Amino acid sequence: MIGALLLAGLGAVAAGGVLCGTRGTVRAGLVLQAAGSAGIGVAGFWVLATGAALGPGFTSALEPRVGVDGLSGTFLGTLGLVAAPALVFASRYLRPGAANRLVGGLTAVFLLVLALVLCARDPLTLLFGWEAMTLLPAVVILVAHRGDQQARRTVFTYLTITHLGGVGTWVAVLLLAGEGAIGSPGVIEPGSVTQGVIAVAALVGMGTKAGVMPLHVWLPRAHPMAPAPVSALMSGVMIKIAVYALVRVLVEWLGVLPVWFGVLTLAVGALSALGGVTYAIFQHELKRLLALHSIENIGIIVLGLGACLVLRSRGADALAAFALAASLLHTVNHAVFKALLFLGAGAFERATGTLELDRLGGLLRRMPWTGAAFLVGAMAIAGLPPLNGFASEWATLQALLHLPAVGGVGDGLAGAFALAALASTAALALLCFAKVVGLVLLGPVRSGSDEHPVTEVAPPMVGATAVLALACVVLGIVPGPLFGALTDLAPWPAGSPAGSSAGLGLDLPGTGSLPTAGIALVLVALVAGLVLLRGRRSAAPAPSWACGQVVGPELNWTGAGFSKPLRLVLEVVLRPQREIAVRSQGGVLQEVTYHGRVPQVIDERVYRPLVRRSVELAGYVRRMQSGSLGTYVAYLIAVTVVLLGAVRTGVIG
Amino acid sequence: MNAVTTAAGTAQLVGGVALAPLLPGLVQHWKARLQGRRGPSPVQPYRELRRLWAKSTVTVEGTGVLYRLAPSVIAASLGAAVLLVPLTADAPALGVGHDVLALAGLLALARFAAAASAWDTANGFSLMGASRDLMIAVFVEGTMVLSFAVAALVAGTTDLRGLIAGTAGTAAWAGPVLALGGVAFALVAIAETGRQPVDNPDTHLELTMVHEGPLLEYAGRDLAYLHWAMAARHWVVLVLAAQVFVPHPAGGWAQLALLPITLGVLCAVLALTETLLAKARILLVPRLLAAGALVALLGITARLAGIS
Repeated sequence: MIGALLLAGLGAVAAGGVLCGTRGTVRAGLVLQAAGSAGIGVAGFWVLATGAALGPGFTSALEPRVGVDGLSGTFLGTLGLVAAPALVFASRYLRPGAANRLVGGLTAVFLLVLALVLCARDPLTLLFGWEAMTLLPAVVILVAHRGDQQARRTVFTYLTITHLGGVGTWVAVLLLAGEGAIGSPGVIEPGSVTQGVIAVAALVGMGTKAGVMPLHVWLPRAHPMAPAPVSALMSGVMIKIAVYALVRVLVEWLGVLPVWFGVLTLAVGALSALGGVTYAIFQHELKRLLALHSIENIGIIVLGLGACLVLRSRGADALAAFALAASLLHTVNHAVFKALLFLGAGAFERATGTLELDRLGGLLRRMPWTGAAFLVGAMAIAGLPPLNGFASEWATLQALLHLPAVGGVGDGLAGAFALAALASTAALALLCFAKVVGLVLLGPVRSGSDEHPVTEVAPPMVGATAVLALACVVLGIVPGPLFGALTDLAPWPAGSPAGSSAGLGLDLPGTGSLPTAGIALVLVALVAGLVLLRGRRSAAPAPSWACGQVVGPELNWTGAGFSKPLRLVLEVVLRPQREIAVRSQGGVLQEVTYHGRVPQVIDERVYRPLVRRSVELAGYVRRMQSGSLGTYVAYLIAVTVVLLGAVRTGVIG
Repeated sequence: MNAVTTAAGTAQLVGGVALAPLLPGLVQHWKARLQGRRGPSPVQPYRELRRLWAKSTVTVEGTGVLYRLAPSVIAASLGAAVLLVPLTADAPALGVGHDVLALAGLLALARFAAAASAWDTANGFSLMGASRDLMIAVFVEGTMVLSFAVAALVAGTTDLRGLIAGTAGTAAWAGPVLALGGVAFALVAIAETGRQPVDNPDTHLELTMVHEGPLLEYAGRDLAYLHWAMAARHWVVLVLAAQVFVPHPAGGWAQLALLPITLGVLCAVLALTETLLAKARILLVPRLLAAGALVALLGITARLAGIS
């Protein structure tokens, strides 16, 4: 039954992809893909709910196998939850044309490949799907930006970094297959060198794909280049597949890892969370800002994963299961609100023609539906109650809070640092999204003209964002059932008080519970009561207070102004660059130009020197490549002589 | 539900809603006395609220629904926070749980609403205050969660009732751990209540405002809500300080009886720090709070190293 639904869904996605190929049926094709993804999603969550796996289990042998279990189901469900609205959105967002027909077809292939990675049950299929998953977004970006030099450069960066990092994935998966450990945990001896090598390789390889710092540089470049619905799929689903792979390898197949690796994971998570959100604050373009927030949220997810690993190595299995569930819950939640925000950004782009934050404004009035949905997403990503981001960040904080209680001095302190990092991350995200909401949705309208005022986008696009906003609210008010099912995914006998999270809210041992529904109810009731009590008696509208000046557009604040206190405080770390040119004539000020940017320290200090060295090194190698036949023959003879000499003296052979 | 639970619940609701304005009133009153002025009466905040309640609100040109909703949302978040923070270890459940980390979320919601209203009015002074408030909040939240972690390590839970019970008596205070957590929380309390050296609640100069900035455009009942919310913030933070980070007795009645005295002492301490300390440069505030975070980390280290 579930299997049939899953197959029907996959079939519908494939058929939709084919339909996209012909002129005139692109919209129908995309809607069919959306319906198929919805089917995949329902089937995935169904598998998670029932816990009944489909198909064969994992094997280390190189024979193709596919199947679905609870963990795959969670991610398939997330895929459906994100892809269905995103594709409905795409059916109106993508303008008719040859390039977009191709994009429509490629999304179908992309979805099928993502599903293939999740369903793969052997190393070969997994690695095939993994590579295809990396290549397809590159193709989509190139098709969508045909002939664009900048896009080509971005795609090159993306492919280079994900492939260099991707080596880690190959090493980890092939070593696991070689040891026969795929699907049979406990084969690898805990604390052995092999285990450490596989774990680090997986963290590098899959971490690159997930976008953890300092391997993230491709992400803020590539995600904003894709069309909005594809960005939603990349941020919402693709980087989550890397989380899936990390959970498989680190939590399931490698057994109990040593404490130092858990602490390393915590450090990587904390760096990504803090770094991602800090750089996001200083962005001027909405989609790039959202892409950097993906790094932040991956950091939060990795923090939960690190807490799980440390707790497990300290023998606190029940708490480790909760930490894993917190991490996975945030994965689902992030997929939902990040897709919502990317789709909202796409709608704003369609309506106003720009994504420059300082050129948007007042859109809540012009686009009330999309604006309200975007507001919900922004509040969710900022971790505000009673929305879903709050629930999962709360659970992750609780998981980290338990580290000092069960760990030694080192990992306990690491836990405390991670705790402070996560709390500050939440506050930074609040700052960032207060800025985004203010610049995009509130204040005076800054885009459009009197002849062409900004108006609400087409109903299917509104519907797509509304569905995702509703998901944010529902997951925020009743996270309990999903959290309970995710707790059961832990591959060890959790030994937890099983009913502890069976309620609607969250209730972990050692915490005051989080009755999310109660908090939501109290907040809504109080707001309603206070609004009624306030009444409607109001004086005549007055201009805002500017010390008696006439309030004009030149007094409007910019994003740079709002983030200035933080920039000044973090100046030592961020090293912002700014140029101010003042042109005055006869003592009278004529013109002031300001240009400021906050360069990414990792880009400037790590990657740029690395690239320069590599190019220099390539220069030396090029000298050997003279192009004349004689030289190459000489190389061949030299190599043969050296080899013969080596054999003669017994070095080889 | 026995008598002490009922009394604790009643005191929590009545105190949080009706007595909260007394706390900033007392601070202002004592501060004036310390500075050799007669100053306002402690019930001045009530008079202000009565005056504002009778006035009409003002709509700023070009604002929308978020501007109108913000005061209610801020007051509602603080109302939920009043329900969340119990007075004693055996307080009744009031539907929002008792988790101390959930409190951080509610305070964040109030901050977001204030910043959103500032953006909606597009008032430069409001935005200046909001941007500073959110910048300071980055460091406040980190330090706050660390000080909670210290208390949670001692008490073994983040349930506030458990925290109050676990830090009661003399045994928990034998070592330096809770005292270090208390020092960190003191800085958080000063920042959250908008007191010097973080913010100057008496300022009338828009350029120096932090918490007062987003209030600039409001009048009437809207402003009354915002004033009450600030008072409730005093209540929540000081009750938390009194029942977790200051030594307190174990029994429910004793905790309830001692609370007014402790709250009075804490208000007096706030009056004293306001008198003795000048407002710090805004860019130095993060250092102050980071120092608090380090003290809390020291507390956690002491605990992990086995010093009680």
